[in-house]
Amino acid sequence: MIVCVAVVGHQNNPLYIQSFTDADDSLKLRHIVHCSLDVVDERVNNPKKSGPTLNETFLGLLYPTENYKVYGYLTNTKVKFILVTTDLDVKDADVRNFFRRFHAAYVDAISNPFHEPGKKITSKTFAERVSTIVKSFGMSSTR
Amino acid sequence: MVDPANTPLGRMLLEEITPVVMVLRTPLVEEACLKNGLTLVQMLKPFCVFNNIDVPVRTASDQPYRLQKFGLRLFYELDIRQPNLEVAKERLKQVINQAADKDLSELCSDLPQIDNALSISESEVLPSWFQFFNKELVHSVSFSDHEAFDHPVACLVVVSSKDDQPINRFVDLFNTKKLPSLLTNGAMDPKILKHYLLVHDKQDGPLEKATKILTEMRSTFGSDCQLLCINSSQDGVVEHQDYPWVLYKFEDLPSQPLRCFLNVEDFNEIKDLMQDLSTKHIIPYMEQKIRLLNQQVAATRKGFRNQIKNLWWRKGKDDVVDSPSGPTYTFNSIESQIRVLGDYAFMLRDYELALSNYRLISTDYKLDKAWKRYAGVQEMMGLAYFMSDQSRKDAEYCMENAFTTYLKVAPSSQQNATRCGLWWVEMLKARHQYKEAATVYFRVCTEEPLYSAVMLEQASYCYLLSRPPMLHKYGFHLVLSGDRYKKSDQVKHAIRTYRGAMSVYTGTTWSHIKDHVHFHIGQWYALLGLYDLAANHVMEVLACGHQSKKTQELFLRDFLQIVQKTGKTFEVSELQLPEINISSLRVIFEDHRTYASSAAASVKERIWVSLEEEMIPNLSTARTNWLELQSKLIPKKYKESNVCVAGEAVRVDIELKNPLQIPLPLSSVSLLCELSAVSDEMKSDASSSLVEIQDGESTSLIHRDVNFESSLFSLSDVDFSLAGGEKIVVQLTVTPRVEGILQIVGVKWKLSGSVVGFHKFDTNPMKKISRNRIQKAKHPHCDNLKFVVVKSVPKLEGVIHPLPKRAYTGDLRHLVLELKNKSEFAVKNLKMKISHPRFLNLGKRESLNLEFPACLEKKSSDQSAEHANLNDVSHALFLFPEDTIIHGETPLLWPLWFRAAVPGNISLYITIYYEMSDISSTMRFRTLRMHYNLQVLPSLDVSFLISPCPSRLQEFLVRMDVVNKTSSESFQIHQLSSVGNQWEISLLQPLIRGKSSTSEDEKSSHPRLQGTHLRLGTQGNNGPCFDIASSPLADFHLSERLYQEVLNKGDTNPVDFILISRPLKNDINPEVSEPPRLFSHHACHCSTATTSPISWLVDGPRTLYHNFSASFCEINLSMTICNTSHHVDYKSIPVESVSPFIWSGSSSTRVHLDPMSRTEIPLQVCVFSPGTYDLSSYVLHWNLLLSNDQENRDRSSSGTCQGYPYYLTVLQSD
Repeated sequence: MIVCVAVVGHQNNPLYIQSFTDADDSLKLRHIVHCSLDVVDERVNNPKKSGPTLNETFLGLLYPTENYKVYGYLTNTKVKFILVTTDLDVKDADVRNFFRRFHAAYVDAISNPFHEPGKKITSKTFAERVSTIVKSFGMSSTR
Repeated sequence: MVDPANTPLGRMLLEEITPVVMVLRTPLVEEACLKNGLTLVQMLKPFCVFNNIDVPVRTASDQPYRLQKFGLRLFYELDIRQPNLEVAKERLKQVINQAADKDLSELCSDLPQIDNALSISESEVLPSWFQFFNKELVHSVSFSDHEAFDHPVACLVVVSSKDDQPINRFVDLFNTKKLPSLLTNGAMDPKILKHYLLVHDKQDGPLEKATKILTEMRSTFGSDCQLLCINSSQDGVVEHQDYPWVLYKFEDLPSQPLRCFLNVEDFNEIKDLMQDLSTKHIIPYMEQKIRLLNQQVAATRKGFRNQIKNLWWRKGKDDVVDSPSGPTYTFNSIESQIRVLGDYAFMLRDYELALSNYRLISTDYKLDKAWKRYAGVQEMMGLAYFMSDQSRKDAEYCMENAFTTYLKVAPSSQQNATRCGLWWVEMLKARHQYKEAATVYFRVCTEEPLYSAVMLEQASYCYLLSRPPMLHKYGFHLVLSGDRYKKSDQVKHAIRTYRGAMSVYTGTTWSHIKDHVHFHIGQWYALLGLYDLAANHVMEVLACGHQSKKTQELFLRDFLQIVQKTGKTFEVSELQLPEINISSLRVIFEDHRTYASSAAASVKERIWVSLEEEMIPNLSTARTNWLELQSKLIPKKYKESNVCVAGEAVRVDIELKNPLQIPLPLSSVSLLCELSAVSDEMKSDASSSLVEIQDGESTSLIHRDVNFESSLFSLSDVDFSLAGGEKIVVQLTVTPRVEGILQIVGVKWKLSGSVVGFHKFDTNPMKKISRNRIQKAKHPHCDNLKFVVVKSVPKLEGVIHPLPKRAYTGDLRHLVLELKNKSEFAVKNLKMKISHPRFLNLGKRESLNLEFPACLEKKSSDQSAEHANLNDVSHALFLFPEDTIIHGETPLLWPLWFRAAVPGNISLYITIYYEMSDISSTMRFRTLRMHYNLQVLPSLDVSFLISPCPSRLQEFLVRMDVVNKTSSESFQIHQLSSVGNQWEISLLQPLIRGKSSTSEDEKSSHPRLQGTHLRLGTQGNNGPCFDIASSPLADFHLSERLYQEVLNKGDTNPVDFILISRPLKNDINPEVSEPPRLFSHHACHCSTATTSPISWLVDGPRTLYHNFSASFCEINLSMTICNTSHHVDYKSIPVESVSPFIWSGSSSTRVHLDPMSRTEIPLQVCVFSPGTYDLSSYVLHWNLLLSNDQENRDRSSSGTCQGYPYYLTVLQSD
C-alpha cells in the first residue's frame, strides 16, 4: 500500500505531500520524504552511477527503511516525485507505471494558467486524480 | 592512506588490546600509595604505556621484528570479571549527564548555522564526550570468556615491606579464593607468569629491612622479584610541573592538587620497573608461549591430513548442544589455544599470524555452532585485516558478519554487538566512508533509548561529515536522536540535537517539520525553566495556518502558558498573530480638507479636486500662504510632511488577519506614536523640543496610564475577537493635543490578554512604494507617516437628513442640511457645490419649515416673483448669503430638494467651502466633503409620441405611454403639465389617451416656466395641481432640460412635459403612515417636428350636390402650406391629376416660403360623375434653401411628400 506521495520542487521545497494512512503519522512521513532527498541529490550528482540511464527519470529504490520503501522520480525540470510504500516486494515496473501516470497528472495540474510555478499545488482535481492513481497502484500490486 | 595504527581505531586498538596484568596486593601497599591520593594501579598506570620501547620480538617466524609501541593494562583481581550490566549502565548515564551539564551554556546561545557546521572540522563537530562514551561502552563487555586478549597474561604480586611475614603474604595472596573466575573456571590457564614486587615506603623506615626481605624473596621465588621504593620525598609535599597523572583522566581522581610524596627518583624507579616488567618478562613470556602454541597447532591442525581429520571429527559431533553460547571450551582444548595464540600474536602486532589462526578457528567454531565465539573471532579477523591494511572488503565483511552473528545469538550479546559496531564504525570512518558509518551507527541502535540516542546523534554527524554532506539525513537523525534523548529524560541533550536539526530546516518550506522542531524545543526549554527561550521558539510556530485546528489550539495554549510562566508582560516585535497586512495601511487625516464621513474620505482625491476647482480661491496661492505660515512654526525639513490639526484625530486603517482556524481575542489594539511638541518660545528655531515617545517599552506604558490626561496625544483602543480566518480592518486613531511633529511608528496589540505584540511600519523605500501606490492617488503629498501638527482651527461638521439610501425614480423629497461648528471661532463665506444638480438642489431658506408637498401646490394668486431665476442653475455652485456665519452651538439648517432623476447607483459628492473668520489661524479656509451613495430604482417609464394632427394645422396628437416598472409599488398619476406658454395641453377625450392641441403663440423672448396643467386620474381623488413653475420643480426641470438637451438636439419646436404622480396608498400596511410623496417625471424636448420641414392642409367642402347632367362639377379647394423649419425654404408643389377626376387650374405650382411663414394656394378639381373621391393624388416636392453657414446634416435638403387622403363626396342634385 502506498502510504505517501510527494512532489518536491527543484529547491527541495515541498509542493505537494499527501499521506494515505489512517494513523497520525504524517509528520513521520514528511521526515522520511525530506530525508530521502539526500539520496535523490546523490543520484543526480553522480552521473557515473546512472551512466547508461542518463535520460532515465525513474530513480529507483532510494531508501529502504525498516517499514517502508521509498522510490524516487525526477522530471526534466528537476522536480522530484517521492513515493513511500509499505509493500516490501514491489515490482519496478509497477512503480514506473505509477510514476508515469503521476507525472501526467502533475503536468496537467501545473499547466493550469492559475498555478504559480514554485508554489504549492492546491488543485483539488490533482488531489483526486492522485488518490485514484494511488488506489489503482494497490490493486495492481496485489494481483 | 594513513598508517592504520595512527587512525583513531588503530590508536584505540593499541590501547585496548594489550596484555592484561593482574595486580594482587596487600592492604598495606594500598595504604602507602594512598598517601599520594592514588591507588597502586593508578600510580603505576602512567608508566604502563611505552611509546618507544624498541624491543626485538620473534614470534612464529624466524625473522625478528622490533616493537616500538607497547602497553600494559593493570587491573586488580576484583576487577577482572565481566562488569555488572546495571553498574555499567549507571556509569554511562553519568557520562551523559555530565556532558549535558557542561553544554548548558551553549543551549542558551543563538541557533547554530548550518554553514558553520559544514565549515568546521570533524573534531569540532563531534562533542568530545562521544569518544569517552564509546570507550565506556566498549569496556562494558571486557573480560568475556570467549576472548583471550582480556585474559591476564601476567600477575603482579605486591607486598609491603611493613607486612608481617612478607614471604607468606606473597603465597597467601595468590592462593586466596578471590581470584577471578576466569582463572578458576577453566576458561584460561591458571598457570600464569608471576612477578613479585616488594613496595617500600621510605617514610616508614630505612631501606635495610626491605633489602633483607628482597633477598629472602629471591631465595624463595627465584629471580622474578623486585623492590620498589616510594614516597622518598623527605620534606613533604612536592609540586610537580609535569605531573604524569594529569594526562589520565581517572573519573574518580580528586581534582585538587595531590599531596605527593613521590619525587623524581620514585618516578624513574617506577618507570624502570614497568619497562623491565614488559621487556624482560611479559614480552618474552608471550613470545615463548606463541612459539609453543604454534608448534602444537601445527602438529594437530596444520597440514592436509589434520584438516581432514578435524573435519571428520567435527562432523561426527552431531549431537552438539545448540545452546547460544555453544559448547564450552576449556583452556587446554585446541580451540582455546588457537584463540590464545591469535590474540597473543595480535597483541605483539604479528597480524599475519593472528589472522591465520583466527581463520583456522573460525571455521571450527562455525561447525560447532559456537556462535558467540565465532562472532568474536570474526571481529578480531576484521580488526586484524584493518591493522595489517589488507583487503578492505574482507575487513568489512568480517565486521558485518561478526555484528550480525552477535545480534543473532542472543540478547546477551547485544553489548558485544555494540562494541563490534563501534569498531566497525571507526574502521569506516578511518577510510572516510562516513555514509556507511552512519548506517552502521543506525544499526547499533538498540531498544535502550539512551544508547540509541547517542548512536543516532553520532550517525547524524557522520552524515554531516560525508562528502558531499547529506544534510537532510543529518537533520532527520538529529530529530530521531532528540526524541530518544527526551524519552530517557535527557532534556538538555534533546534540545541540543533539535537545535542542530533546526539549522537544517530554517529557510526551507517544510513547515510541518519546522513547527514540530520549534515547538518541541520550546516545550523542553520550558521544562528546564528557561521560559524566555521557550517562548521565543514556540512563537515561531504560532502562525501555523497549515496545521490542523487541534494543533493550532495546542500551540497557542502552550505559548500562552509559557508566557504566563515567564511572569512578566511578554513583548514581541513582529508577533505573527494576527497577521498585519501592511499593504492595506491607509492613513486618513484632515488638513484643509475635512470629511463628513469615512466614506467621503475614501473617495479619490481627483474627484474632489475637480469638484472644488472653481470654489477654492486658488490652490497654489492658498497653499503657499499657509506654508509660509508653517515655515515660521516648523523646521524646514518637515515641509514635506503632512499637516494635521491639533485636537483632530488622524485615522489609520489597517487590515488584521487571523491565519488560524481558532478565534483570537485581541485587546488594546492601538497605534504607536511619537510626538515632539514644539513649545511656543521655540518656534523660531525649534532646536530643543520635548519628545514623548510611546513605544512598546513597559515603562512608557505605565507612564501613559498615569498621566493620560496630560499626555501630548491620545490614542484609541480597540478590543475585538478575530474568528478563524477572519480579516478585519481596524480603524485606529491618534489625536494630537499640541502642536509639533507627530510620527506614527507602528501598531500594538495584546493577544489573549497576556502577550503584547507590536509591528512597526517600515519606512524603508520598498515599502514606501507599495504604500504610495495606494495613497498617491488620494493624497499627493503623503509620503510618510509624519505629520506637522498645527494649531487648532474651526471645523465644520455636516450631515444631510434624511437622505434615503434607495429611492424610486422621480421621487421628490425635502431634505435638510445641517452644518455644525464646534469651535468658538466662526466661519464665513460659505460656498457649496453639488456634483449632481439633477439629484440635489438647494432650496430657499424660507422653505425650510414648509410643509411638503403642500408647498408645491399651485396658489390661486400666481406670483411671478417666485419664479426661479433660470440663469444660476446651470452650474451647481451655490453661494450662501453673505451673512451666513456659523459658530458656537447653533447649527445652520438649510433646506435641500432631492429628486431621484435616473435609475442606477448614484454617488453624490458635496463640498462646502468655508473661511475662517479668525485671520491669524494657520489655515485660511477649509472644505467639508460629503459623500452619499444611493440606489435609484426604476419606477414609471414615461414616453411621449407626438404626431401632427391631420385635421388641423399646428395641432398635435400626444400619446403618453406610462409603464410601471416596479414589482410592488402602485402609482397614481396626478398631473401632466406642459411647460411654457407656447403650448397648451388638453384632453382629447375623457379617456386615458390624451390629446393635446397646442396653438403656437408669438415667441416670448424670456422663457418662463409657465404652462398648462392637465389633471389626470380618478375623479374622486382630486387634489390641487402642483405648481411646476415654483422653485424645486422648476429647478429640477431646468436641470433635466440641460441634461436632455444633449440627447436630442436641434428640434425646432420642442415641448416639455412634466408628469406628476403619487404612490397609491399602501393597502398592505395602512398603519404605516408615510409622509406624502411625490414623483415627477420630466420629458423634455419632445419633438413636434416630422421628417419634412413642411406641413400643409387642404381645405374645402367635403360633401356637395351637383347636377351632372348640366355640366361637370368644378370644386375650389385651398391648400395652406406652412414652413415649420427655421430655414429659408423653397418649395415646389407639382400637382398631378389622375382619373376619374382632374385637377384643374395650374397643374404645378412653385412657392417660396420664408421661414415660419405660411401661404395659401388655390386648388381646383373637376369631377364628372357623382361619387366619393380621394383627393390624395398629389405630391409635394420641397427643397431646402441652405443659407450661407447653416449646414443641416440631420435632414435632407430636399424631399417629396405624398398627399393626405381627402375624401370628397359629390352627389347628384335634382
